[in-house]
Amino acid sequence: MIKPILYAALPLLLAVGAASASAADTIKIGVPVPLSGPYAAAGTDILNAAKLAADDINASGGVLGKKIDIMAEDDGCDAQMGVQAAQKMIDGGVAVVAGGYCSGAGLPELIALHRAGVPFILDAQTNPKLTSMGFNNVFRTIGRDDEQGPFAAKFMSGYLHAKKVAVINDNTVYSKGLADNTVSALKKDGVDVVYDDSVTPGQMDYSAVLSHVASLDPQVIDYTGYFAEAGLMAKEAAALHLKPQLMGGDATQDPTLIKTAGAAANGWICTTAPLPQFLTGAKQFVTDFTKKYGTAPGPYSPYEYDAIEIAAKAVKDAGSTDPSKVIASLHTIKDYKGLTGNITFNSAGDRTVAVYITVIVKDQAFAPYVKLNAAGQWVPVQ
Amino acid sequence: MKPTMPISAASLGVAALAVAAVLPFLCDNYIVDVALTIVTYGILALGLNIVVGYAGLLDLGYAAFFAIGAYTTALLETLLNFNFWETIPVALILAGVSGIIIGYPTLRLRSDYLAIVTLGFGEIVRIIATNLNITGGPNGIYGINPANVLGHDITAPKAIYALGLVFLVIVLVLVLRLGQSRLGRAWTSLREDESAAEAVGVPTLRVKMLAYVIGALIGGLGGSLFAARFGTIDPTSFTYAQSVTILIIVVLGGRGSIPGVLLGAIIVAGLPEALRFLNLWREFVFAIALILLMLLRPQGLWPARLRRVAAPSAAAAHHTPRAEPAAQVAEATAGEPEMLLEAKGVSRVFGGLKAVSDVAFTVHRGEILSIIGPNGAGKTTVFNCLTGVLVPSAGDILWDGRSLTRLAPHRVVARGLARTFQGIRLFDNMTVFENVLVGMDHRFRVPLLAELIGLPSARRDTGLHYAAGRNWLEFVGLGDKAGLRAGDLPYGDQRRLEIARGLAGQPRLLLLDEPAAGMNPTEKQSLMGLIRRIRDLGTTVLLIEHDMLLVMGVSDRIIVMDRGQIIAEGPPSAIQANPRVIEAYLGTEEEVEDDGSLGAPILGAMA
Amino acid sequence: MSEFIQLVIAGLTTGSFYALVALGYTMVYGIVRLINFAHGDIFMVGAFLGWTVLTTLAATHMPWGIGLLIALILSMILTGGLGVAVERFAYQPLLSAPPLSILITALGVSLALENGVLLIFGPGFNTYPQLIGSAGFVLGGAHITFIQVGIIILSFLLMAGLYLFVHHTFIGTAMRALAVDRDAARLMGINVERVIQITFFLGSSLAAVAGVMEGLYYTEINFFMGFIVGLRAFTAAVLGGIGNIPGAMAGGLLIGLLEAFSAGYISSRWTDVIVFLVLIGTLVVKPTGLFGERVVERM
Repeated sequence: MIKPILYAALPLLLAVGAASASAADTIKIGVPVPLSGPYAAAGTDILNAAKLAADDINASGGVLGKKIDIMAEDDGCDAQMGVQAAQKMIDGGVAVVAGGYCSGAGLPELIALHRAGVPFILDAQTNPKLTSMGFNNVFRTIGRDDEQGPFAAKFMSGYLHAKKVAVINDNTVYSKGLADNTVSALKKDGVDVVYDDSVTPGQMDYSAVLSHVASLDPQVIDYTGYFAEAGLMAKEAAALHLKPQLMGGDATQDPTLIKTAGAAANGWICTTAPLPQFLTGAKQFVTDFTKKYGTAPGPYSPYEYDAIEIAAKAVKDAGSTDPSKVIASLHTIKDYKGLTGNITFNSAGDRTVAVYITVIVKDQAFAPYVKLNAAGQWVPVQ
Repeated sequence: MKPTMPISAASLGVAALAVAAVLPFLCDNYIVDVALTIVTYGILALGLNIVVGYAGLLDLGYAAFFAIGAYTTALLETLLNFNFWETIPVALILAGVSGIIIGYPTLRLRSDYLAIVTLGFGEIVRIIATNLNITGGPNGIYGINPANVLGHDITAPKAIYALGLVFLVIVLVLVLRLGQSRLGRAWTSLREDESAAEAVGVPTLRVKMLAYVIGALIGGLGGSLFAARFGTIDPTSFTYAQSVTILIIVVLGGRGSIPGVLLGAIIVAGLPEALRFLNLWREFVFAIALILLMLLRPQGLWPARLRRVAAPSAAAAHHTPRAEPAAQVAEATAGEPEMLLEAKGVSRVFGGLKAVSDVAFTVHRGEILSIIGPNGAGKTTVFNCLTGVLVPSAGDILWDGRSLTRLAPHRVVARGLARTFQGIRLFDNMTVFENVLVGMDHRFRVPLLAELIGLPSARRDTGLHYAAGRNWLEFVGLGDKAGLRAGDLPYGDQRRLEIARGLAGQPRLLLLDEPAAGMNPTEKQSLMGLIRRIRDLGTTVLLIEHDMLLVMGVSDRIIVMDRGQIIAEGPPSAIQANPRVIEAYLGTEEEVEDDGSLGAPILGAMA
Repeated sequence: MSEFIQLVIAGLTTGSFYALVALGYTMVYGIVRLINFAHGDIFMVGAFLGWTVLTTLAATHMPWGIGLLIALILSMILTGGLGVAVERFAYQPLLSAPPLSILITALGVSLALENGVLLIFGPGFNTYPQLIGSAGFVLGGAHITFIQVGIIILSFLLMAGLYLFVHHTFIGTAMRALAVDRDAARLMGINVERVIQITFFLGSSLAAVAGVMEGLYYTEINFFMGFIVGLRAFTAAVLGGIGNIPGAMAGGLLIGLLEAFSAGYISSRWTDVIVFLVLIGTLVVKPTGLFGERVVERM
């Protein structure tokens, strides 16, 4: 009983080892994303964008005369699996790693990649910590939670004219980070934060928390967690006849929120980086993606597409697949015209300008709402 | 019986370690990283194996200790600038203390309840880590320095792997030594039959606590290694799922079996990596494989072998000074008083029913005293009161002039009372020899640490113990069966083994609860001889028995009980003539038919 | 005051789900001494089966009341059947094996059910149709919806029905006999395998009702939803005294209330800590749970 299993597993392990020894006739770009577990769907959307970017680059001749080869590894949004995925990509000889979904797996991956001197371009991991450890190998095509937080705060105080706000998070890395940044920005803006606490995701019934929050009489309830709980809160708040305006961060922007809450979802506002369909530069991408994979791109797909394109450009600029040279060339990326706007990295690796807008649920669909213009005024999103 | 292959198992283990040691020279970093994960799980599973495999306690919150070790190392390094090595003692202490905290309230609970309580403890630790600011909340802690050896930071995957392997070997040696020690034996006896273990002198609460604490220490060590490996930790690594994974390793591999546990670690940590290409299907395939493996091999892939301590040869045992039964008994009974035990007005009530009421008697040095009476007369209840299993509702039991009531059973054994059970309660999955050793381990005075290291004083004591145990087996006539599984012995031999186990504890008073039940006449004859020989050595015997031939044949004095009270007391001849006794036995027809050994023999013996 | 009433209603609603699921844990434990770790996932499968039937029927323009009834009954039967199948293929062969082996098998079944549903229905959320609105009434300043009242009443009816079944029918008596001594029950001519199967069927059906109600009430269902409910229900069963039917009901409602009050008056993030501390505290004081009886061991 024992031996057959070992014999069965051995060739697999050996095959995995042998695969890394293949010839370097392609340029390998590593993409660590969750392909198993609860976040597999999000991971697949990101991976598909990476593949689409690689296909586009290869169709126009590749880079340095070689084809781009996407090396996808499942990190399961788990630290341990993530490190192993990172290690596998390092051993596989990637020039650059671009992708990922969870900050929780991203951090240990980044540390492993840093130790190996391989650049890592983040597409969806918004936690500020990733670019504040002083590593020179990390870059990010998406904004940080600590940029979205102040934007959300400004929206609540400036546009909704709220004096009292309740902020609820779900005690995950992303949600807590966003909540903390929102709360400190609110306080700076002179807004009274009457509630700032966590709920347990997956618990289903939030009416106890909502009843309590309502008794504190806030004008806005801001939930910084994910769409599943957001939908329940919208539904349960309606049943409790709560008055405050409900809103959330970018992770609440998902059709499930509307399906869960039904009519109660109407009026829910999200702060978010613009979705693909709201990005003027991404029309062609949305069409191509939908045609190729049969579903619309996910919220992070364009950011991954940009990450792969930038990775390819950096390899081309460096004239080499040597990771250390690619890092140097990534630091020189300036005003790159991506799907998600102009991309320039600051010294920490973050985008110098991150774009946020708000969307609102109207007639059972997310519709563009308002944004800040250059003059600091709230104007409708076109 | 499973084929045993101690030599090949050991050599296989060495070969496996050799393969593990050369792995970094043969494979790339990815394989080494997966191997390191296997090593980490191996360490954790070896720790949990002490709790689940050795002691038979369920633990669904083991990741808590893992978390405590990891967080201690992380916090001390980042806040107080400790280096990795300095954090380890603190991590171990905190993990050990938390082992006591979880152990203390749970040790008295039934094992099924343990499942939820340990699960709860694991969740509590994880939630506290998620909620507190000092632990970094959901972000956890980053910037943990790697371990430093001789001025070199251990950051390369192969170097961390080497460090992990060293940790694994240390844990492996510890676990192997523990398994062979008397503590390991106590754990096994606990797993086999907790009440019997307590009744033959195993301090079960303390032994359980030690299982938790030592398991916790190993979990903490694994946590420190984990923190140094990743340089960052967060609460999602210490979930219930993590605890379950470690438990699956132990049970799938074979609880209590070290090679099994390591094999389990290889499969559970390695297989999902090998099955990476399955993506979404991976967990499903793993789940189905797990179910099938458990169905096909309920004991695990590599079940634990029977614990097998080699008994010394009969000749060697005979030549060991102070190990002969006579010498052992003389040592135990030196200076004992004329009146060994005095029961004063003992009563015991079960929910309004008086099982025993106002029973008073004395036991004198060197006699064979029997308690007889019809079924339900309260005889076994008296035994249970004497041995600490039950606390009398009223009255007192004096031993050497000091009260025995309210002492835990294992403490009563330490005072010099040993017992056997009406329904045989041996440790079936231990050898005959080890059953006897459990009975005498409470006499062992050498500290556990000395035994683990193998100090000369510990070796000397162990040698004496083994010799004495072997001699007691010889004494009851089981000398040639020392290596057999106790559960495989024929019935009569099991009875005699129970007596040997009791005698090995150097009791002054041996309590035998229906030792002849189910024996054939030949076996009864030899039992009668055995009881006399025990008395002749100098051990006092208190006997409950239905078989009148035996009772009348061996007893110096007889106490007759009926409906919870003593109705007669005296030498056999007086009892035979006592009209109240005859009435009690022949009171109803049913009782006579109920138990053939009751009425007929008494009349026969009286005739 | 209105907040207090609101919390009580929230607690009773969630407590009803926990109680219905806890019954399955407690019945199975009482009869085969197995902590059926897959029971939370049986509840989840019940929710998915109900969803499948409902969404299929939605296309036929059947009145939703009838559709719902069909969905509920079909889900109960199919989920009950699943429970029996799990018992037959995964547990029965191991009933005489060491208890830990069957526990690990149960964990394996749990993992298999979760990932099986994930493979069939996808990793995201599926949503029940919005059949029942948030219509309700006001009581003491608290808003109470009709569906909350319905859930609480239906749960009480089912629990009362189960109690009567166990105490006043032949099969119920057989179940209780098995709980006391399986071998003796077999000697008395009880078809032990059959009774065990009925137990699994009943427990799984009740979980299916809870699953469909959960889907209707909260709308969204997911392959992972059985975990928290299963954990809370298991806690409830132990708190009430595992093996004891009224204990499971009381335990479920208590945990629901505890959860609501700690979320409302203390903090939602400490809920689990509070629930487990109450459980541990109760067990330290009363080692067999609130309604459990002491088992005296014969020596």
